[in-house]
Amino acid sequence: MGNGGSHYDVLVVGGGIAGMESALTLGDMGYTVLLVEKEPSIGGKMVLLSKVFPTLDCASCISTPKMAATANHPGVNALTHTEIDEIIKRDGGDFLVRLHRKPTFVDPVACTGCGQCETACTVALPDQFHYEMVARRAAYIPYPQAVPKKALIERHGSSPCSFACPAGVKAHGIVSLVRCGKYAEAFHLHMEDAPLPGCLSRACYAPCEAECTRGQLEGPVPIRLIKRFMVDRYYQEHPEPEYGPPEKRRGETVAVVGSGPGGLTAAFFLAREGYGVTVFEAASEAGGVLRLGIPSYRLPKDVLDRDIKNVTALGVEIRTNSRVRSINELKEQGFDAVLLAGGAMDPGRMGAPGEELEGVVDCLTFLREVNLGRQIDLDGKTVMVVGGGNAAIDPARAALRLGARKVLIQYRRSRAEMPAHDWEVEAARAEGVEFQFLKAPQRFLGIDGRVVATESLSMRLGEPDSSGRRRPIPVDGSKQTIPVDLVVLSIGLRPGTTPFAPELELEKNGRVHVNSATLQTSIPWVFAAGDAVSGPSSIVDAIGQARRAAFSLDRYLNGEVLGEAGFDERLPVVDKQAVLARSPSLAVRSPREKRELAAEGRARSFAEIEAPLAETEVRYCASRCLDCGGCSECRECVRACPANAISLNMHPEEEVLSVGSVIVATGFKLFDAHLKPTYGYGRYPNVITAMQMDRLLSPTRPYHHLVRPSDGKVPDNIAFVLCTGSRDYKVGNRLCSTVCCMYSTKQAQLIMGALPLADVTIYYIDIRAFGKGYEEFFEQAKAMGVNYVKGRVAKIDQVDGGSLMLHYEDTTERGGANQAEHDLVVLSIGILPNADALKLFEGEALAADPFGYVREPNESIDPGRTSIDGVFVAGTASAARDIPDSILHSGAASVQAAGYVESMRNGR
Amino acid sequence: MAEPSTRDVAEVMRDEMVVRDRITALIRNGPRTIPELAEALGYPSPEVVFWVMAMWRYGTLVPTGKAGADGYYRYRLSEEHPVPTEQVEASHGQGQP
Ligand SMILES: Cc1cc2nc3c(=O)[nH]c(=O)nc-3n(C[C@H](O)[C@H](O)[C@H](O)COP(=O)(O)OP(=O)(O)OC[C@H]3O[C@@H](n4cnc5c(N)ncnc54)[C@H](O)[C@@H]3O)c2cc1C
Ligand code: SF4
Ligand code: SF4
Repeated sequence: MGNGGSHYDVLVVGGGIAGMESALTLGDMGYTVLLVEKEPSIGGKMVLLSKVFPTLDCASCISTPKMAATANHPGVNALTHTEIDEIIKRDGGDFLVRLHRKPTFVDPVACTGCGQCETACTVALPDQFHYEMVARRAAYIPYPQAVPKKALIERHGSSPCSFACPAGVKAHGIVSLVRCGKYAEAFHLHMEDAPLPGCLSRACYAPCEAECTRGQLEGPVPIRLIKRFMVDRYYQEHPEPEYGPPEKRRGETVAVVGSGPGGLTAAFFLAREGYGVTVFEAASEAGGVLRLGIPSYRLPKDVLDRDIKNVTALGVEIRTNSRVRSINELKEQGFDAVLLAGGAMDPGRMGAPGEELEGVVDCLTFLREVNLGRQIDLDGKTVMVVGGGNAAIDPARAALRLGARKVLIQYRRSRAEMPAHDWEVEAARAEGVEFQFLKAPQRFLGIDGRVVATESLSMRLGEPDSSGRRRPIPVDGSKQTIPVDLVVLSIGLRPGTTPFAPELELEKNGRVHVNSATLQTSIPWVFAAGDAVSGPSSIVDAIGQARRAAFSLDRYLNGEVLGEAGFDERLPVVDKQAVLARSPSLAVRSPREKRELAAEGRARSFAEIEAPLAETEVRYCASRCLDCGGCSECRECVRACPANAISLNMHPEEEVLSVGSVIVATGFKLFDAHLKPTYGYGRYPNVITAMQMDRLLSPTRPYHHLVRPSDGKVPDNIAFVLCTGSRDYKVGNRLCSTVCCMYSTKQAQLIMGALPLADVTIYYIDIRAFGKGYEEFFEQAKAMGVNYVKGRVAKIDQVDGGSLMLHYEDTTERGGANQAEHDLVVLSIGILPNADALKLFEGEALAADPFGYVREPNESIDPGRTSIDGVFVAGTASAARDIPDSILHSGAASVQAAGYVESMRNGR
Repeated sequence: MAEPSTRDVAEVMRDEMVVRDRITALIRNGPRTIPELAEALGYPSPEVVFWVMAMWRYGTLVPTGKAGADGYYRYRLSEEHPVPTEQVEASHGQGQP
């Protein structure tokens, strides 16, 4: 009968008391039952209650045996944390069901429910099972009696910051660890994804911050500076890495060409896998652009040195002054594979007359001299930098620091087209660098072979070229001669791959041709990453590529198929608007001002410009994080779990199956007390709902005792406001919720037991005590001293000390407006239909009654039957009911479903 | 003291991760009530309730015996879950969010 998938006699949707009862009844009759519950535990709302009226049995004590029986019944398959996508009735009378199991990120077989992940977790979220009275963790066990009692992790997707990082650094995880003061843990988390945290915390362009959701409010979380604090703290405490070479050793060796961020990263990941790694570096010192390109006022060299130790500690050998000229030679030397990460350091040429003059240099040659500490005296000189990328800004700012009197940057397009980051441009301008846009030298003029001036032309912008930017066109007659002492050309850096041309396929611009998914080159045992592949890009992009290339290289040497699979297992990124909508009333928390040395003083010194954050600031800054994805991927739970049960890489699993009949037991929704604004719920801490009071009175309560939410004081004068959201035309619900009179009476009795000195008042319209023993229960409460006041509460105000003034109308013969003060008010909120039930079906719609409950066309004589033949309803999905009535109703629905399955079997 | 907190509940709860070190440091010097903690921390007491209850839930602190005549419980560090001293010391003088 099925559609490929499995078949069950009956599908029960909803695992509350009605759903469990139906499943058990049908299971006992011998039918196969699939029970689907969207929450991570079965039990519904009943298991969360304190006791039940009128017997005062402990709700969880009578629920848990049913929950266990449901989970263990041989005829019942109970799927929790699972959602139905659609149910379609088929011509044969059976139903096609599509559902998806939401990932819990915890292996339920391995998890023992010990709760260590919860204790370690760094993200606090409102606990929905405590109706937001207390926080739980992103990693959590729903409640102590949960079935299954397994942990799960709340994840909405990847946080935007973490998703934005090309290297896969879990920015959100770092922020959440730092927020908790776990600095070393944050450092280790960074090291799992990228081995150069010091350099990144100084010189990364921070795409994470650009994507930060808080950026849509007062400004992004300063993730890079937060990282810098964590790195500085760690390096201070650990001048040397805490680890040595890995125990796992592999026979194969790998040659890495280049010791820039790409080469160092690849070496790190390969060495961690146990390969013998040798890095070949042409320059006299390791670090590539980090060493030779980025000036120390942005990246102090001791930070780079310490970062490099993270790599060499694994046993990686870095051979400096070793330029590789042939890849095949490396193979001949015995290397099993090669990773090319030589960057893009060859200067581009303008092809302008005079370019060969002394005093016309390319930017990397200039910066290399500066960074290697060669004496360059520019005292009183004029320096012109040509170009518009970040590579133009660094030499300009360095020239100022070397004493230049005047430094100007000529760029042939306008400010808008300039690829350099805004903040770099602004910093340079503040230090005194002069920008000349729409200007470019055409010729360099020299005397005795030394440059003395440039001849520049003005430009105007024409149509966009192949790069999408508007093409500069020289303006006739705009020639201008500018006296200069030094010209630095920051144009078109290219990979220095020419020597490899006979061996390896290259692109026209010298870039290494690769498969973009695997980064394998035209030679199968050679992989490439970084600027050598992409042209000048960024540190973090190079790191990300190198990680990917190392991953592929490892698979290659393992003889595995290459491909994307297994590399990037991130969840889709969360929607920022949804994150902001989740937190409608955030306090304004301004980002800390970025602090730097004053522009005048700093422009003459190579000391680091950016001031670090102090510890208090860093934690303040981290506290601005909105925990966009829920879980931050800090991996503290992974480390804490003794059963190794946690896997953050799970994805939803879809299933299609068929069933003979369906029972809808999706229960009810609670009235949202915010919709009665005159009662102050959500504004006054001591106005709570009855569901919250039931939690406070239950054995698994959110607080250690029954105390007020405003200040932890034991309340001594408690009021109940019946019919909140029921029998109320103003909120669109004229139905009586059936249970509120009785549950309030129950709670009043329990409070009198817990706090014998407390006064309890119940404000009511009339008391509905219709069931067996209910009237006696009500009388018993009165005898215990519960004060019943017949009156409708109009308004609640907060008065001194968090207490509340109730304004009510006395509806006895006495009449009149009255007021009374209480120190805790419980709103006895009503029961509403759960609209989810109606959305389950595709095609033939499940009909609702005028109030929105599932319609039972012949409620009084044919309970449980719905508008669709073969679909039945149990419990509060079709009307407000108490527990005994829900159970009775489930019995009716179960028998109806069994009848339908039988009639189908017998061909009607 | 019992100023209503208008802040987003989720935001207040998140701040536990920063403020809990300060609460730990405060009660290390002797048990305190929630209003006393609120006063010392400079936060509205309903917010402090969220943090204290979460810290109780996860075993950092416990109430000392019964509520006092003033109706308030006093909280001390829990013995089973002593917080490592480095963490407490490091947290002295934490700035407020
Ligand atoms: C404050 C309060 C106190 C109460 N006290 C008492 C009392 O003392 N005694 C008493 O008899 N009654 C009491 N009641 C009433 C009692 O809670 C209900 O009668 C009972 O919970 C109804 O059970 P149910 O299974 O129909 O619904 P629920 O308990 O609401 O269970 C429905 C289940 O279906 C799941 N579900 C919903 N939609 C889907 C979907 N699309 N897919 C999969 N699963 C879904 C839900 O997650 C839930 O687990 C009280 C009610 C309240 C509000
Ligand atoms: S990864 Fe971190 S934030 Fe996510 S659940 Fe685990 S401990 Fe909590
Ligand atoms: S608010 Fe936090 S989780 Fe969200 S993007 Fe910003 S740093 Fe990342």
